[in-house]
Amino acid sequence: MTAAAPALPGIFEGIRPRPRWRELRLLIIATAAIIAGSVSLELARSDPGVGIAKGLSPAEPLHLLVYLGVLFGVHVAQVVTGRRTDQVLLPAVGLLGGISLLLMERLPQDLVVQHVGSADLGLADVQLVWLCLSFILAGAIAIVVRSDLWLRQYKYTWAAAGVGLLLLTFVLGSEINGQRLTLSFGPVSGQPSELLKVILVVFLAGYLSENRPLLVEESTKVGPISIPPLPYLAPMVAMWAIALGIVVVQRDLGAALLFFAVFLLLTYAATGRLGYVGLGIVLFLVGAFFMYQLLPHVRSRVDVWIDPFVSPQTSGYQIIHALYAFGRGGLLGTGLGAGLPTIGSGQPGGIPEIHTDFPFAALGEELGLIGVLAILGLYLVVIERGLRIAASAGDDFRSLLAAGLALVIGVQAFIIAAGNLKLIPLTGITLPFISYGGSSLLVNGIVVGLLLALSDKGVEPPPPPRPPSRARRLARRLGA
Amino acid sequence: MDGYVLTIWVVRVLFLALLYVFLFGVARTLIRDLRAAAREPVTDLGRLVVLASPAGEPTQGASIGLDAITTLGRDVNNAIVVDDQFASAQHAVLTFRGRTWYVEDLGSTNGTFVNGVRVEGVSPLGYGDELQLGQVRMRLERPRR
Repeated sequence: MTAAAPALPGIFEGIRPRPRWRELRLLIIATAAIIAGSVSLELARSDPGVGIAKGLSPAEPLHLLVYLGVLFGVHVAQVVTGRRTDQVLLPAVGLLGGISLLLMERLPQDLVVQHVGSADLGLADVQLVWLCLSFILAGAIAIVVRSDLWLRQYKYTWAAAGVGLLLLTFVLGSEINGQRLTLSFGPVSGQPSELLKVILVVFLAGYLSENRPLLVEESTKVGPISIPPLPYLAPMVAMWAIALGIVVVQRDLGAALLFFAVFLLLTYAATGRLGYVGLGIVLFLVGAFFMYQLLPHVRSRVDVWIDPFVSPQTSGYQIIHALYAFGRGGLLGTGLGAGLPTIGSGQPGGIPEIHTDFPFAALGEELGLIGVLAILGLYLVVIERGLRIAASAGDDFRSLLAAGLALVIGVQAFIIAAGNLKLIPLTGITLPFISYGGSSLLVNGIVVGLLLALSDKGVEPPPPPRPPSRARRLARRLGA
Repeated sequence: MDGYVLTIWVVRVLFLALLYVFLFGVARTLIRDLRAAAREPVTDLGRLVVLASPAGEPTQGASIGLDAITTLGRDVNNAIVVDDQFASAQHAVLTFRGRTWYVEDLGSTNGTFVNGVRVEGVSPLGYGDELQLGQVRMRLERPRR
């Protein structure tokens, strides 16, 4: 081993394999759980009274094998390269992905059909490909990224790219189900708002860490109330405007809510001032009120949320059947594959768009309250690891970046889970790592990869803090 | 009870149970992490980075590690000697209590400033805050890990 070392090229110098026992142990538990789920699905399928009647397609043990292979591959790659990244994140996310794969195997395969060459790929096939790509991406980022300068230094470039992407979607995006979200270039199509959430967090982390002292120290007094300094409210107003723009032009309530919530949470994390949060909530309420008054698609969403039973066959159909599904699930659930939902669209009792917008309801029926709580627990684990990485980060930028990335996943899971449960108006965003969808899975892979990279104790330390900006020095000199 | 039905229920419950075994495993890792962090001796509490020091003591750009009680002033017995004509002999003291830094002015002639505001009594000092004694300006930085 030592004899071969000098022959290796530069990158591999100083790399020493390092075991990751915790990750391995958790991965084994996750694997056992996924296999148990798969067996349970298989048993339901082979039940002559149930499985055939429900049109469950035959099992593909190969899917499971490939998926687990990729998970352990990422683990082994990190062991071989000796990375000291977080050891809990990958198994937790891997388990979520495994549950996703089980669910997609269980749903009717003709929900999604992609033609690749002469082969027709069904729902589970496509989802498997995206899941694998997502984890490979996460692993690659965790191993390759050794410095955050490319994010730190170009935050305004990133922000500009994000706004550009958004405008491009506004203009060129194609409408699907009344939402203008999808951008296609030839055969490749994707939802830029997924990528946008990462860009937003990168920009906010850079902006807030640089201006933190100013945002914390200074305030403008309006009568007895002291509000944050006026010049620094510009980003908040801009953010508000972008969120409103997304609602008006893209009709994407979920993304707007997600962006604004993450923005407020990060601002609070950076400054510790409740004034910003209060102001943000006031802005949100004002915006929500006018949107409700002016935009029919917002009003219909809210009306359906308040009472879906007014229009049980049309706009309320989806949410009513989701509620029925949760009700049928009860405490322990019906078991994988045994739920009523021949849950495909168009079938009686089925929830439309179950694979993208309502996987949480499907899991609620088949795994019950117990299973759904475990899944929410897995999202809590992701948040906990993210905040932990944030707490032990070397400087403000990394800290805010880690917190923001974890919160994006957590808040998104909360918004769509609460929407499925009719706790808040339904918004069509994905359940991270579980919903079907390439853009969502790839971007969440990037998020996990970045979190892993940030948690690495071996990466290069953050650059020394920069002296105060020129404008500040000038102001001080004039004041002195 | 039918054997088939029994098997399928056992497998279903096993699946749900394994999800919780996983969460339990994560919780155990968390507890172990927290215990390890509590045992670890606290070596580095924070650092002062000298931003401006016209008289050269402390040197500009220096990064000084802090003890839980760090005194500052012109007298040579201070932990950080601030050789500045506007600094007092016993000027200020930084203390680390709980998880926060505090600064207290020791009755100096020209006062101690945090982010440009004069300190009255004991005042908390956050990471990133700027401390000024006489003409010497320093910034409190997070400990290195």
